[in-house]
Amino acid sequence: MKGFYAAFWAESLKVCRSKMLWITILTFSFISVMIGLFVFISMHPELVSDSSVISTKASFIGRADWPTYFIFLYQVIAAIGLMGFSFLTSWVFGREYSDRTVKDLLALPISRFMIVISKFIIVIIWCILLSLVVFFLGLITGIIVKIPGWSGENAIQAFLIFTLTTILTIMLSLPSAFFASCGRGYLLPIGFIILIMIITQFIVAGLPGIAPFFPWAVPALYCCAGEPEITHPEAISYILVVFTSFIGIIGTLAWWRYADQS
Amino acid sequence: MDEIIITEALTKHFGKVKAVNGISLSVDKGEIYGFLGLNGAGKTTTIRMLLGMIGPTSGESFLNGKKVHAGNYELWKNVGYLVEIPYSYPDLTVRENLEMIRRLRLIREPDTVDNVIEKLQLGPYHDRKAKNLSQGNAQRLGIAKAIIHNPDILLLDEPANGLDPAGIVEIREMLLDFALNKGVTIFISSHILGEISRFASRIGIIHEGRLLQESDTEQLNRFRKRCLQINTHNNSSAESKIAEKGFAVTISEGGFLEITTDEAIANPDIIATILVQAGYPPTMLKVEEEDLESYFLRTISTAGGMK
Repeated sequence: MKGFYAAFWAESLKVCRSKMLWITILTFSFISVMIGLFVFISMHPELVSDSSVISTKASFIGRADWPTYFIFLYQVIAAIGLMGFSFLTSWVFGREYSDRTVKDLLALPISRFMIVISKFIIVIIWCILLSLVVFFLGLITGIIVKIPGWSGENAIQAFLIFTLTTILTIMLSLPSAFFASCGRGYLLPIGFIILIMIITQFIVAGLPGIAPFFPWAVPALYCCAGEPEITHPEAISYILVVFTSFIGIIGTLAWWRYADQS
Repeated sequence: MDEIIITEALTKHFGKVKAVNGISLSVDKGEIYGFLGLNGAGKTTTIRMLLGMIGPTSGESFLNGKKVHAGNYELWKNVGYLVEIPYSYPDLTVRENLEMIRRLRLIREPDTVDNVIEKLQLGPYHDRKAKNLSQGNAQRLGIAKAIIHNPDILLLDEPANGLDPAGIVEIREMLLDFALNKGVTIFISSHILGEISRFASRIGIIHEGRLLQESDTEQLNRFRKRCLQINTHNNSSAESKIAEKGFAVTISEGGFLEITTDEAIANPDIIATILVQAGYPPTMLKVEEEDLESYFLRTISTAGGMK
């Protein structure tokens, strides 16, 4: 465990000293506040009567109440979160290659297994932090703009759904580490993320019957399960998410252990 | 003597490219082994294989009697290394980069970082982010990371890159001190024979993945071509007079007379006497020794042609 603590300490230091931590916090905060503001505008359309773009976007909100607002927060994690979490997973692994620092991690008295695991743990903590920022900043924004229909019970229920959506999304972002490692940088994982997002959109919109079997669509299906037009995920959907995440983690560990690091 | 570093027919092929081809060598305790080759000769690939960063296609290597492979991480406790250009985390300061390596090397004493900063004269830059360091100081930081844990074995890939002449001398003195006084075994690659021959006890020349020659410093001096170089006011007549006395003489590109026989090199006075008696007294007479770079280039050229 001594090796793990050292590796985890090192990863924490790298993240805390990077601009990326603050950039992601600011981005997710901005998105969360913007969702609250759009709900506010949809409650008061007269405020932006001159701005057709904003009022059109606000009109997408539909009902301006807390349950609808929570669904938007879930979707932030299921869609934007998947992209963001995958990107920061790629950053944690890919930067070692783009900064050419990976060689400093390969011949240490700590196993490469510990190095990779500590990277995954820092990624998970970082993603959880961003999710909490989205939820609680969203909550504060919602309270400030006085969204109607507040209920403590609903908020707790929403937090549970939000938490499970976050867990599913984090699990699906971890395979990006494999692409960052074997692509030795950011390019391959970013391409992978974009491809996954396109396929997910295509499947959810065009082939809803397949969606429960496509792991990256599962968080969105889960968090919007109450909506009538959304296909409900099945038990196999969650198993596929766990399996996909597991494959990503094992693949990354195997790459670091067995592939030539030239 | 204890063989600390051993490679046995170490081979690495990248597709059809034979980066390293059957290299067998051994380095004894406290020895400085200079591993010399042009860019792309296979030096870095060999060092990466010695560090378990890439697996050999065939053959094996041992450090301290233990077989090198990526899973044998206990092995690296006593090994320091620097591979190619050292890079550090750009957003971390010199001190933070070293503190991280101290922890990753499971060193308990926190003053280790201060000691290595002092040893590499990085004090004025300890709070500077790595991305703002000059090339020379980035190199010093790389060397500091390699020696922070006082390793028994040092594997260094072109450590003098980017250092100014004073820095090169300083690092050379430090490595000599490690080897002579602390028994550290050092495997150091370079493409500059003149530099490496100043402190390496043995030198191996690698070219196109093959180990062409191994020699100690004395042997190296013997292998280098020497000739007696002469100039007179009439070299063509002087040439025939020397040849009449049985010495093989040629005229160099510079127009000087050159004799490569050991007898003439050992007794230049005989040649001087011959020339004076023939009426062509020498205006210049000196033993010219092939410089190390020429020797190195001649060696690799003879052994397979330079590309």
